Amino acid sequence: MDWKQTIEAFRHNPTEESFNALFVAVYGRVRRYFLLRGTDAMTAEDLAQRVMFIVYNKSYELADAGLFQGWLFTIARNELLQHWRRGQSRIETVELEPLAEQLTIAGDLELRAEFAEWLSLLEPNERELVLLRFVEGLSYEELALAFKTPLGTVKSRLFAVREKLLRIVENKPVRSFGKKAR
Amino acid sequence: MRHGINEENWENYLDGKLPPEERDRIEAHIIGCVACWEFQQRMLALNARLREVGAAMDRSHVLSDEQLSAGLRGVYAMICAGRDAAAPPTPVQQRLDELAAVMTVFCGTQAAASALQTAAQRSPARSLKQVTRENWEPFLQRLSAIAHVLCGRTGAHLVWESGRF
Repeated sequence: MDWKQTIEAFRHNPTEESFNALFVAVYGRVRRYFLLRGTDAMTAEDLAQRVMFIVYNKSYELADAGLFQGWLFTIARNELLQHWRRGQSRIETVELEPLAEQLTIAGDLELRAEFAEWLSLLEPNERELVLLRFVEGLSYEELALAFKTPLGTVKSRLFAVREKLLRIVENKPVRSFGKKAR
Repeated sequence: MRHGINEENWENYLDGKLPPEERDRIEAHIIGCVACWEFQQRMLALNARLREVGAAMDRSHVLSDEQLSAGLRGVYAMICAGRDAAAPPTPVQQRLDELAAVMTVFCGTQAAASALQTAAQRSPARSLKQVTRENWEPFLQRLSAIAHVLCGRTGAHLVWESGRF
């Protein structure tokens, strides 16, 4: 079962068994969310468990199960902000050093080191958008929910980030026709 | 907006989310426009790289069964703690609270708490958490005996009377 089936199963019949299945499907991703944003492993586990606790208690409030991922990462984002506020020592952005470290742990080393380099050239909000879209696989609708932004704005921002990434990856202007075409 | 295609439409097109008529319009333009065709190809290549990164990230951070079990235990501990906090106190718990309040007047909070614990340990319940209606009577007798020493005869009498169901 993928996460969509597991969340439907849990909302339909909230038993220990259905929650365990949902937990197995999403806990690793939630934990990774915190790791990629600079927390140590123990904090990432604590925060991920808090997120899953909220999922356990509140998932019935979610009107559309199709938006589960957007809702999930909104909770994760809030937990992270609260964690930083409690510590009062972190800026509220994706931390680059641990991010690069996480991205280069074991396997696919070259690819992920390259990705970490691309991300380092993006603004914090752009980086968050790229991570949620391409690493966590959120849909446009889920991104709109997570960023509390209209759908059209999410798409425009995402396209702008893609253009910027293209510029970074190729190290040249995105569209050669850009100015001439105006 | 460039060449009649805005950013949102490009985004939808690259993601395969455009309605057929709009997709056909963009594709008709791309066929005749080298710059847009080249841009589309570069964007598709970038998308493929990003998908590859996403897949690589999924292959990493795979949790062991032990890590999953530990995480799950942590969540269930929170769930249980939440239930305990939300649950109304049981009649036994209410009575224990009343007894503690009575004894506190005579001998202070710390001595009252110690007296309750000692009485429970020396009764069949063996611990305060395991005091129930069934083993209440011997517990209350022990507590009254302790209260007699700590609070005098009046205090012990009050404890006995307050504690009876």
